[in-house]
Parts: sequence; structure tokens; C-alpha cells
Amino acid sequence: MKSDRRGSWYLLTGAILGVAMGLVYSWLISPVKYVDAPPYALRADFKDEYRALVAVAYMYSGDLLRAEGRLAQLKDENTAQTLALQAQMALANDRPEEEVRALDDLAMALGGGVIPANTSTVSTPQFTSIPASSQLSPTPLIMETSVGLTPTLPITPTVSNVLLQISTHTPQPTPTVTPSPTPGAPFVLQESHMVCNTNQLTPLIQVEVRDAAGQPVPSIEVFVTWPAGEDHFFTGLHPEINLGYGDFSMTPDVVYSIHLSSGGQAVSDLVASECVADDGSRYWGSWYLVFAQP
Amino acid sequence: MSRWTKFLIAVVLGAAGGLFYGWVVNPVEYVDISPTSLRMDYKADYALMVAEAFQADNDLGLAVRRLALLGNTTPTDIVTNALDYGQQHAYAAQDLTLLQSLGEALLKWDPKLEIPTP
Repeated sequence: MKSDRRGSWYLLTGAILGVAMGLVYSWLISPVKYVDAPPYALRADFKDEYRALVAVAYMYSGDLLRAEGRLAQLKDENTAQTLALQAQMALANDRPEEEVRALDDLAMALGGGVIPANTSTVSTPQFTSIPASSQLSPTPLIMETSVGLTPTLPITPTVSNVLLQISTHTPQPTPTVTPSPTPGAPFVLQESHMVCNTNQLTPLIQVEVRDAAGQPVPSIEVFVTWPAGEDHFFTGLHPEINLGYGDFSMTPDVVYSIHLSSGGQAVSDLVASECVADDGSRYWGSWYLVFAQP
Repeated sequence: MSRWTKFLIAVVLGAAGGLFYGWVVNPVEYVDISPTSLRMDYKADYALMVAEAFQADNDLGLAVRRLALLGNTTPTDIVTNALDYGQQHAYAAQDLTLLQSLGEALLKWDPKLEIPTP
């Protein structure tokens, strides 16, 4: 009769104990291991490395489709914007100039800019499931005897003839066509007008830089000077507006001059001016300047 | 059936439920993995990108540092594995040539000649 009073609580106790043991085992002792992870699961800094590598590889091949396919694996919300932002960060962090340029160029190409004419004939590798054999039987590299190197890797006689065939000619780098601005061509002021926007309370100097093809150019440094000082900003920091766009907050009644770091036409006598709203109220307008290569 | 038997059955069922929840319903998620954990096809493509970049910059030290992200194996082994994978999955001849070229360059690479990066 004593056991009847205890009821079936021991079953619930056992189940809870079992669940706890199961969770401890599955979460702590033997958690799920991701050994075949996709690139989008990479840590943020590795994703940056990955993007930079895609961009540099694109500089070589000029294959935009392939670059797009590779970047798609990262599942960025806006690939061009992410690349542009990374280019700006790279610039600010003194990363190699080539990397910054590569990121910029790829961002421009993906953002609807110039697409290199020499889309390569290289096929895009298909991401497929891995046959076990590819992991278990790595094929040693074959040394090309004509190169005159002393092989340090084991050479096995089971290597296919394909490799021997391709190793008998020297790979020729594909000429790289980049969508960068024409070197040396100065940017000239193409357009300049006041912008009255009731949502923009602070007066701005808004600069947009375009290349000869009319495509936005990020990472252009713009110097701003005024009687009491000077400052600078870069285009491309607002990719959501335009990859070639940058702006600077003006102080009313101060006269500004600007010029681009890459040379070209300077613009002076920029002063914040007032706009009149529909209800008669006044607010500050902004200057919108468009520079372009001829 | 004795009380102990029922208790053990409850424990086993509970453990099965816990394992199912921990492994299937809500498994541990790795969102910040390193390239070492990438699937083999992505690793091969990563090595191919390094080979393409090497053709562009001709910087073998940089290529080695990039390959080093893929794990503790030697750069040569990484490229060899990528080459093997590319061969088995019908990569374009040009891609295989790029990997081969990088592999051959790596055989000449002497880490002692590398200027350490601060």
C-alpha cells in the first residue's frame, strides 16, 4: 500500500533524468560537429578574408559570374554594398592597395558598373557533395621535369595523364581588365546644384564621383577646406545611396572649397543656403556636386 | 514489470528524447567557424582562388598565408587535395593548370626566405 501512495511520479523522475542525460550528451559530450560547413557559417573576419580573396581572384580572371557565385555562398544581404563597405574598412585599416582596389572593382561591377570584357572561359566549379574517395586518396602533385626542380613530394605512377598533359605548358595569366577609372584622367565638375530636402536638416556638401563610363567611383578622397581648417572624406561610405557618393556636414555661414585627391577641378565658395518649405518655414539646403571623368 | 524496470525504461525514453532534441531539433550551431571546417568542394574552390590570386600578384608568401587558413596541413597538401578534387569533379583544364602551377611554385617555396609579417 505504501507503493500505491507514491503513484507514478518515479516514471516522470526517470524521464526527466533521461532527458537531462540526453541533453548533456548531445550538447556537451558529443555535440553535432560541422565538418562540411558552407562559407556563410564562417566567422566575420574569415568572411572578410574570403571576400577579399574572391575579389583578388576576380582581378585575375575577370569572371564576374564566378565571383558572384562565390560571394553568394556567403549569403550577404547586399553583396555590392558589403564589398564597398569592406573596401572602405580595408582602406581605413591600411590593407594592401591591391586588395582595396580589388574589392572596389568587384563592388562596382556587381553594383551595375563596368563588367570586364574578358569574361574568362574558366568554368565555375560546381559545389557538390563530396565523394568519399576525394577525401581519402589525395593525388600527389606531379613535378614537371622541364621546370628543373627537385621534387620533394612523392611521385606515384597512378597519376592520370590529364595532369601530365596540363603540366607541359605554362599557364598564361588571363589579361585583367578592371573597371577602374581611366588612369590620369582628371575629374571635372559636371553638375552642381542646391538640394532642398525637408528631411535633411544639416546642410551638406554632397559629392558624387563617376568614371568616364558614368559609373560610380568609390574610395575617392575629397578634401574640404575652409578659412579655419580642413578635413577630408571618402566616397563609397554610403553604398545604400551610391557607391560613388560621399558627404560632409557644413556649418552655416562658413565658406568651403573642395577638391578631389586624384586632382581635377576644385570648387570654391560653397556656402550653406536656405530653402523655403511649403508652409513658409526656412531650412538649410545642401550642395550636390557631381564630378566625372571626361 | 517491476518498478525499477519501469523507471529504467522511463530514463531510456527520456534520454532518447533528449538526444533527439539536442541533435535534431535544436543542435549546437556553429556560426563562427574557421575555413578549416569548410566542405571539401569549398576548400578546393578556396585553393583555386588562392591560385588565381597568385597568378595576379605572384606573391607566394601571401598565397601560403591564405592557404594556412584551411588548416594545419601543409600548403602543398592543401593544393594537392584541391587538385585531386578538381580532377575528380571535372574542373576546367585552366583551373587545374592554375592549381598545378601553384603547387609547383610551393615546392620551391622556402619559408626561411619569408620576411615575417608584423
